[in-house]
Amino acid sequence: MLDTTALESFPSLISHGINVAGEISAPPSFQLPNSNDFDGFVKETIQMVKPAKGTTTLAFIFKEGVMVAADSRASMGGYISSQSVKKIIEINPYMLGTMAGGAADCQFWHRNLGIKCRLHELANKRRISVTGASKLLANILYSYRGMGSSVGTMIAGWDETGPGLYYVDSEGGRLKGNRFSVGSGSPYAYGVLDSGYKYDMSVEEASELARRAIYHATFRDGASGGVASVYYVGPTGRKKLSGDDVGELHYHYNPVTPSTVEQEMVEAAGP
Amino acid sequence: MTIFKHNGSAVVAMVGKNCFAIASDRRLGVQLQTIATDFQRISKIHDKLYIGLSGLATDSQTLYQRLVFRHKLYQLREELDMKPETFASLVSAMQYEKRFGPYFCQPVIAGLGDDDKPFICTMDAIGAKELAKDFVVAGTASESLYGACESMFKPDMEAEELFETISQALLSSVDRDCLSGWGGHVYVVTPTEVKERILKGRMD
Repeated sequence: MLDTTALESFPSLISHGINVAGEISAPPSFQLPNSNDFDGFVKETIQMVKPAKGTTTLAFIFKEGVMVAADSRASMGGYISSQSVKKIIEINPYMLGTMAGGAADCQFWHRNLGIKCRLHELANKRRISVTGASKLLANILYSYRGMGSSVGTMIAGWDETGPGLYYVDSEGGRLKGNRFSVGSGSPYAYGVLDSGYKYDMSVEEASELARRAIYHATFRDGASGGVASVYYVGPTGRKKLSGDDVGELHYHYNPVTPSTVEQEMVEAAGP
Repeated sequence: MTIFKHNGSAVVAMVGKNCFAIASDRRLGVQLQTIATDFQRISKIHDKLYIGLSGLATDSQTLYQRLVFRHKLYQLREELDMKPETFASLVSAMQYEKRFGPYFCQPVIAGLGDDDKPFICTMDAIGAKELAKDFVVAGTASESLYGACESMFKPDMEAEELFETISQALLSSVDRDCLSGWGGHVYVVTPTEVKERILKGRMD
């Protein structure tokens, strides 16, 4: 069953006002296109969105809290459409979500999740846990499974039980874990992250590890690049630690030293 | 991905005052993964003739080796270096020979002809020549390159200004392409000298 709680505020466009015998108007729903071959149409839209997830995002739990990092490139096939996309979404002051996959899907559902979390706070007079928030999102995405939305997100936050990190995707999967990386650049980020990870890191060491992992992924992966943003979620809430341009970061990690001239350029004799 | 986008490439050549410049990116990739950041796409045929081969990397290496062979034979028989116009016709003919199983390359040829007059041309994968008086482009970033060159190019630039222009055009175009970049390689050729330079670019 589709989760329509996201649509309650949208007025029904179909039968508006003209109710002959006082019948209940149609329940809120996404308008479906008029098409002879609806299944074929849906398959094509899924294929159109599928090549996405050209990105690198990562998050890990350590002693002091949760570190979240992402690149900022948006690519359409081979073309770079933007180098300044915000892929770390602030759901509320103590929870972050990462964006991988379709940008519209991620932005919409993260904002919807923020709304739901706030409603939970108002109804229950206490903040929602990271477990609860990720479950809300996973259930919504599961109900839209197979319809072509593309979301690969990590929900990271700090609640009463301490740091929390969940991976949620549009196939309906939800995993609890300590270290995740999502996107086309994730294998490269995992390589750096896994070899440098220690639970007992300080905030500075963890943020440098996260930044390095994103930098290495942007170097090797064509679909990742732009700016490496690093966020930290701790007991006092979320904080943005750095946002370094990876073009400059490369020369910071690999300074250019003038090399010796291998061949002397000799003036060629004119004709 | 189409075969031309498998490795990723960007090549551009520009004409100046009694000189020319030819530039390429340095990335070799396998679809999105970057394998090398020092790949040579521009090669010398003789002191005043350079060819840059964009497209599938294996085909560009093979085509280059065959062209060197043909040019060496020509040098032995004619006791002359090939003129750029002649060489362009040779490349075009060799590509058309493979009309129904082509080399997946788009060559960019740049040279100094008679009286050191600069000559540039490009062709598609089956040998259709396109001669131009100002600039030619090829590769996955070609659309961005067209825009950048069109706005930055001026006729009759001297060697130093030509170098600046072609470098800026190349770097700004590959920064909008996932599949090319990771540095740049520029050759500026005048009747008396050749300057080869490596560009410092974004490595993402």
